[in-house]
Formats: sequence, structure tokens, C-alpha cells
Amino acid sequence: MITRQATPGAAVIDIEGEVSSFAEDELMTAYTEATSEDARTVILNFTKTDYINSSGIGLLVTLLIRANRQERRLFAYGLTEHYRRIFELTRLNEAIRVFDDELDALAAAAS
Amino acid sequence: LTLTAFTVPSLPGNERLAMVRVAEAVEPLGLSTLRQDQLLTAVGEAVLNAIEHGNDARAELPAGVKVTLSGCALVVRVTDQGKGGAVIRHSTPDLYAKLAGEETPRGWGLFLIEHMVDELRVNNDECGHTVELVLYLQTEPHRGIQPQATAVGGENDTE
Repeated sequence: MITRQATPGAAVIDIEGEVSSFAEDELMTAYTEATSEDARTVILNFTKTDYINSSGIGLLVTLLIRANRQERRLFAYGLTEHYRRIFELTRLNEAIRVFDDELDALAAAAS
Repeated sequence: LTLTAFTVPSLPGNERLAMVRVAEAVEPLGLSTLRQDQLLTAVGEAVLNAIEHGNDARAELPAGVKVTLSGCALVVRVTDQGKGGAVIRHSTPDLYAKLAGEETPRGWGLFLIEHMVDELRVNNDECGHTVELVLYLQTEPHRGIQPQATAVGGENDTE
């Protein structure tokens, strides 16, 4: 996973491969890096993510709990139609705003 | 008509091997991308459940997968060697309860399976647990699969 400071207030985590229990340490470390410069919004880029399973959804919930405690926002973009539907099914889309692309996410992060 | 039958060793991550094998087996059916993604998510969750909970992630215990076509129903049967009670338990996870710390962040597997397929059947006996995922194909374009040409795999085709 690669963490980028996209703007002063927003960091992007590029998630490659899978979001499952195997990704836990890497994702949590990436989140720590993403917030090290006090970004208020952390944007998860799923463009290169090919697999999200139930453990991965649990991981995203854990990340949300952490973000909520720190009063940060989690955004997402790059989800396939299938995973967008899973976000809706699990209601993750109510807690993690989902965008079509990075530009839209950054624009919302700036507002 | 059996499209494929195989087993995978019970190691976490091997559910993805099963997903690839099932994707190859159902390719001739011409499922839409969304429908196939839903089926594969259900297969992945069922196999992961068999690996982690049914077989306690013991590599020497196989998790079995059999894909059959019966009329307009595509059935994926996932088996494990687990003893004891049901490893599949119905639940309706509540995101907001999880965010409030009232539920564990995990526990989405069965919920996902139930929403990905048309029917879910669970059977537990002294030999283990069996989960059947059923997808009805009426709404899908069927590309005229030929039984003789596509019956592949064997019961003990271990990975």
C-alpha cells in the first residue's frame, strides 16, 4: 500500500491487491502514516483492489472506529460496481463517502 | 451435470483458489459480470468459513467444492470435515452497533452470502458441514453449455 499526502488536509491510501485479514497490519500502518501530518480526511483508493472479503469489511469497520475517535473522515473511490453494492448492503457507504474518482474525493475533502 | 469438483487444503487464503476454479467452471454459462462477482463472493465466504471454522485451518483437512447445474439452478456445494454444531449462524450485523462498540467489527460472512445468492442451504451431520449456494439462471443469458464437453474435474481433485 502506498500513502500519499494529496493536499494539506487529505491523504490517499492506494490499496493494491486484497482487503482481507492478510492486509490488516499493512492497512493500519498506512492509516497511521496517512494521518501523521494531521490530514483530516483519509481517502481509500480501491482502483487496484481486486478482492474484499468479510474480514476486510471488518477491517474497514475497525478503521472507521479509529477515524471516528480521531474526528477524521474516511472517503473512498475506485470501487467496482460489485463492491459499491456491498458497501450499500453493509451500509458502509453511509459512514465512508464513496466517490467516482480522486478528483471528486479531494474536492469534497476540501469543502 | 457436474461442472467441477475439487478440494483445497484448509489454509486461509485458499478460498481465492476456489474462487478461480469456480470462475473457470461457470465461464461457459455467460453470467453477467455482476452476477458472477456475487457468486464468487459467496463461494469465497463459504470456503473461508469451511477453512477457518469447520476445519479449524488445519491444512490436512480438505475443504470441498462441487459445482453442478440442475435445470436452471447453479448449485455450489461447499463441505468441511468439522464436527459439532453449525458453523453457519444467521445474524444481521448492524454497522452502527459495531461503530458504537456494541458488536465485534467482524461477522459479515453469512450476511454477505445470503445477499449474494438466491438460496442458501445448510446441512450439518456427523461427517461435517455442507453449505449449498443456489443461483437461478432464468434471468441470465445461457450460452447452451454442452454436458459432454464441459463436465470436468473429479471428486478428489485436490489442490
